[in-house]
Amino acid sequence: MKLRHRALMAATPFVGLLAAPGLASAAEEFKPDEEFDISEPLIGPHLELFGIDFSLNKAVLYVILAGILTVLTLVLIARRMQARPNGRAQTVVEWAFEFVDSTIVKDNIDDRKTARFWFPFIATLFFFIWISNIIGYVPLPTNTHHTFNVLGADIPSFALYAATANISMPLILALVVWVSYNVVGIRRKGLVGYVKGLVPSGLPWWILPLMYPIEILSHFVRLISLSLRLYANILAGHLLILFMGGGLVVLLQPGLVGAGILGIATAAVGIVFFLFELTLVAVLQAFIFSTLTAIYIGGAVAEEH
Amino acid sequence: MLATLTTTVGTIVLGATEAGAESGSEELNPLVKPSPGLMIWVLLVFVVSLLVLKKYAWPQITAVIDKRQRAIEERIEASEKAQAEAQALADEYREQLTAARAESEEIVNRARRSGEQVEREAVEQGRKTREDLLEQARRDIEAETRRAVDELRNEVAALTVEATAKVTRKSLTADDQQRLLDEALGEIDFSKLSGQGSR
Repeated sequence: MKLRHRALMAATPFVGLLAAPGLASAAEEFKPDEEFDISEPLIGPHLELFGIDFSLNKAVLYVILAGILTVLTLVLIARRMQARPNGRAQTVVEWAFEFVDSTIVKDNIDDRKTARFWFPFIATLFFFIWISNIIGYVPLPTNTHHTFNVLGADIPSFALYAATANISMPLILALVVWVSYNVVGIRRKGLVGYVKGLVPSGLPWWILPLMYPIEILSHFVRLISLSLRLYANILAGHLLILFMGGGLVVLLQPGLVGAGILGIATAAVGIVFFLFELTLVAVLQAFIFSTLTAIYIGGAVAEEH
Repeated sequence: MLATLTTTVGTIVLGATEAGAESGSEELNPLVKPSPGLMIWVLLVFVVSLLVLKKYAWPQITAVIDKRQRAIEERIEASEKAQAEAQALADEYREQLTAARAESEEIVNRARRSGEQVEREAVEQGRKTREDLLEQARRDIEAETRRAVDELRNEVAALTVEATAKVTRKSLTADDQQRLLDEALGEIDFSKLSGQGSR
């Protein structure tokens, strides 16, 4: 009860401010892709090192926020955990933990030692992506293209953004996974054994020149499919919410009465999509990403291809 | 109106930005352009999170869950053991009950047998006692009869002597008297009197 009150109180300003950007910027030109632009730093100056932009733009801030929330949530709950369950937070985390442990890791990695070794990596991936996705549905002051004035300070408009809706984050995580499973496979079987294991054993020799390019290509395609799936799903969700939550009305400019009707209709659809994305897609994409990671690692160490 | 929408959506999804077209460069839409800085940030945050969680979260959570699982297993084992013990106890009681029932039957049988024996002995004893009593009575009657016969004989002798003396006016000497008497009595048959009792 107390927790719910606190959460409601914390959420109230967000709900109020959610309406603000629409009112403030209705007169200006609406460019949906600005919502996903990360060329401007949100805090501090441009930081460039060796030609790479390290500025604290909104994507970086979302990633850092996701990291802090992941670590804080799990460490706090781990410290308060007891053998006798106390509280709903523990129940939820335990459910998620058991889910990662059995459904994601152990079901896909047969070797118990390998499973135990890779559990922290896969579990961290799951919770990190999940929490990244979830905070992507919390409006935060991130839109620097439109600001509103509070006591003389220009505050960026509140907007929805997600680091996972930028290709960079899924891509680097997919790259880490890709390198990890290939390295673990080579370390387990040796380079020759691993390369041999890429194709099914017992094939006639003349088919190998055909199989190897396909198999190797498929491994590289994993890199793309793994990152694109997460990125495209989250981006699509955000675009849908953006258009439903007023974007469509601004773009089409259907007159005052038309705007009222369209606005209410799309807002209702937007709320449905918002809940769908927040409760299902956020966890589903994290689950798919970490499950595929476990499958790739399990496949790399498995005896037979 | 619809054209505007199509263009905008097309712009976002297909990636040829208006900004890019205006400036004339062939840059990718920022949506699909990987940003190396962001990738390094993600890597950094992910690795730090992984290390912190590996030290401060996963082992603790695993420990608690394992502990609970052990506790549950122990409780299941204990309950199974208790059940087995209860079963054994019940079996034992059932055995004891069967034994007790057999024993009680045995006791009842023995009691019945000994009761029958006592009864038989009592009957036998009674019969013997009765016979003894009868025998005793017979012997008493015989003795009494014999005594009565002797007494009668003496009485008869005395009466005879008196009567003879009166008839003959003469007293016999003691020896004659006895002799005469014995002769006379010898002729009288008393066997009928005593024979009845001594049969």
